[in-house]
Amino acid sequence: MRNGLRLMALLATVCAATNAFAADGATTGPHGEKPTPASTMVLTPDEEQKIKDGKFTAALVWHEMSEYTNAVNSGAQDEFKRLGVEVVAQTDAGFDGARQKSDVETVLAKQPSIIVSLPVDPASAAPVYDAARNAGVKLAFVDNSPAGYVHGKDYVTIVSDDLFQMGNKAAIAMAEALGSKGKVGYIFHDADFYVTNQRDQAFKATIEQDYPDMKIVAEAGMADPARSEEIAQGMITQHPDLDGIYVTWAEPALSVMSALRSTGNTHTKIVALDLNEPAALDMVKGGNVAALVADEAYNIGVTVARAAAGSLVGKSAEPFLVVDSLAVTKDTVADGWKKSLNKDMPATIADALK
Amino acid sequence: MTANPNVNAAAPVLQLQDIRKTFGGITAIENFSLEVRPGEIVALVGDNGAGKSTLIKIISGVYTPTSGTITIEGESVAMSNATMARAHGIEVVYQDLALADQQTVYMNMFLGREPVNGFGLLDRRRMINETEKLVKELDVRIPSAHAAVRDLSGGQRQGVAIARATHWASKLILLDEPTAALGVAETAKVEEIVLSLKQRNIGVLIISHSLDQVFKLADRICVLRRGKQIGVRETDKTDKNEIIAMITGLQQH
Amino acid sequence: MPSANTSAASQANSFASRFNLQQYVVYFGFLAIFLFFAIVLKDSGFLTVRNLSNIVLQTAPATIMAIGLVFVMSAGEIDLSIGSTVAVAALAAAVTVNEYGLVAGVLAGIGAGLLIGLLNGALVAYVKLPSFLVTLATMGLFAGVARSMTDLRSIPVTDSTFTGFFGSGVFLGIPSLIWWTAIAVAVGHIIYRETRFGAHVLAIGDNARAASVSGISVPKMRLAVLMISGGLAGLAGLLYAGRLQAAKYTLGETDLMTVIAAVIVGGTLLNGGKGSIIGALVGSLMMGMLNNGLILMGLSVSDQMIVRGLIILAAVAVSLREKSR
Repeated sequence: MRNGLRLMALLATVCAATNAFAADGATTGPHGEKPTPASTMVLTPDEEQKIKDGKFTAALVWHEMSEYTNAVNSGAQDEFKRLGVEVVAQTDAGFDGARQKSDVETVLAKQPSIIVSLPVDPASAAPVYDAARNAGVKLAFVDNSPAGYVHGKDYVTIVSDDLFQMGNKAAIAMAEALGSKGKVGYIFHDADFYVTNQRDQAFKATIEQDYPDMKIVAEAGMADPARSEEIAQGMITQHPDLDGIYVTWAEPALSVMSALRSTGNTHTKIVALDLNEPAALDMVKGGNVAALVADEAYNIGVTVARAAAGSLVGKSAEPFLVVDSLAVTKDTVADGWKKSLNKDMPATIADALK
Repeated sequence: MTANPNVNAAAPVLQLQDIRKTFGGITAIENFSLEVRPGEIVALVGDNGAGKSTLIKIISGVYTPTSGTITIEGESVAMSNATMARAHGIEVVYQDLALADQQTVYMNMFLGREPVNGFGLLDRRRMINETEKLVKELDVRIPSAHAAVRDLSGGQRQGVAIARATHWASKLILLDEPTAALGVAETAKVEEIVLSLKQRNIGVLIISHSLDQVFKLADRICVLRRGKQIGVRETDKTDKNEIIAMITGLQQH
Repeated sequence: MPSANTSAASQANSFASRFNLQQYVVYFGFLAIFLFFAIVLKDSGFLTVRNLSNIVLQTAPATIMAIGLVFVMSAGEIDLSIGSTVAVAALAAAVTVNEYGLVAGVLAGIGAGLLIGLLNGALVAYVKLPSFLVTLATMGLFAGVARSMTDLRSIPVTDSTFTGFFGSGVFLGIPSLIWWTAIAVAVGHIIYRETRFGAHVLAIGDNARAASVSGISVPKMRLAVLMISGGLAGLAGLLYAGRLQAAKYTLGETDLMTVIAAVIVGGTLLNGGKGSIIGALVGSLMMGMLNNGLILMGLSVSDQMIVRGLIILAAVAVSLREKSR
């Protein structure tokens, strides 16, 4: 459910107009920014030395701890450590904007040079960060920035996923699993959520544009993840001959898996977004799951830390840096887990691979 | 214990006339008549289920009698709740004492009737002074008016409950099994306090299982059996055997 | 002393009952934690006026909720719906203040709190349902209402009078949130300790039957305490909206457990009959100080939660153990 939580943070209905899906096939930032690959954010040895000499400090102000935040957090911690920046505090707002404001105020007592944060509620986040901004603290954000804040002036950068790429890679993974032809079911997130909307639409657009022999024959919107099993059941009943099903993220994919199992269906392939242990286990055991597309969450942390530290020595960053994503299959699961979450794959999966 | 010679001269504080109470089709009390005079202690005895507690609830205003009249100092009254009974000067010491354990003795003394000063704030000084004066008069031996009730012994609690009733009762105190849960010494102490109430010129109606106690305290004894009034005897003109016979139904009138 | 045989032993007993440790656990605990942080974090900005006043500002809404809960718990009831009430009140106030101005916004926020309190109170007092179940249900109910009110959106509050009055303002050199805390604690304390109303709250929580036969209307009191709690949660909602210059359905959601812990650590009995407004204030400040100090110590988020949990457990254990003497 880590995505569900994260999506709420990214809820950007207020700026829905600027969030509209870019038809040209690229992710746009929450305020319409053009994406820049995170890999372009590099520091020269000279800059790194200046940062090390600066004896800077940083605070990490998270919205909610989850597997995703953990990976971003450890990426940021590692990069700050490498650059000699001491992390003096980290906080978890439990998805509460008021608490995040308190957290910012509290960490300011340690006078950090940098605050890296994921805003709980971007639309109303300005008062949360004003105290830090006014104190001259360098702000760098993950996924979204407070409404009204200006890049370069109020904050360093936003680092996020390449959402289009995730949906795109999911489509490619689906095509590989089905031999580029067949009937596809499409279970998308039926809510005005910036992250899922971009990913879902990228999947659909890629299938429609690049794979003429693949047809999306069934579409189902999922508004409430708790009801995903009913939705999957309905889709399978109406279309028992589906070759593949795309699911907007991994948690509901588990419901699709169980719906398929209950009808003894072993031929329909599932592609979903995000790593998830039960889904990955099904995949390595040769079940319905064919691929899971994951973002490089750890790399988000590394990039945001690097950009924030760079800003202290006058290095400017592009407004919207995006990290790569990768399609994890049975063969690449060990590597994928490491790349995405910077962790070894769970023991259950390692055992199943033996 | 002989009756106070003045008792019969004064008008009764409480007069019950032909009280009858039915619940649905069941008759709990019938044809009950009793007078209690100022300075007099009347005991109400009877077996379990004889109707004692129904009668207490009628006198304390919790139940309205189906028929019959209640007269307080010559004035016929209709009471529909305990507050009205209290307004008529009738106080009840319940078997469970109805004390708030966590609160202090003085707050319990004034429970529901706390005096306030000109600002609408509790007048603690007054509550404490009156409490200390009263417990001294009644010789209820408590450590302090500030003590929490839960820190008191059973006898001390009973003393506090009686003191509270005494403080507020202008006409009548109903005592429901005042010593049921007490040891020998504490029972003697509470009995002393009850006897001292006679000097205050109010009526006391006491319910007790202990005939020893009834004979020690009461001027008259009223016997109830199965909702019927079996009879009223003056204590010095009867004996335990007669009362037991009346309670158990071996002697019918 | 009323009686001649007042022994030294019973005097000691009385002394113990009036000055037992339990009422002071929260003060000792507060002091101990304060001293610990003051020493450990002396170079980390903990002792700065700014940081200490932050703690008071940040805990203001929780303190105000705690005052309401002291009344409810002293009466032997519980109100689990305060967190949801905060969200509904904040959203109601935000929407109204933007449309109809300051006064209407304030009335809408407090009014929403009072109405929720009225609903809780009526169900508890007159339908005679247990407050635990009633407020458990209304907690979910109004969390849903808060979500649907603005379709999960957050509502910015632009009225600077409102945000000054309830949030960032300063009056006579003291931040408005401190004024609100001080006023609520002072008024709450006087009503709780020094009025017949407060005495009756304690009486019904202590022994509802005794209170009832003493002429106290138990249902009316139950209704009243739940309305106080709702109204104060509404005020807390205004403070959140003012402080954050926005309202969202998540406001107050995580406060319930903190507030309950603050109230219990502050010397209020879970079963009623005894409590303290000042204790709840200190309990609430203690919770805020704990959050603040553990963050400043640079602990990881998980470690912060573990340490905080252990300290609250210790504080509650000590205060409850003392109470059940």
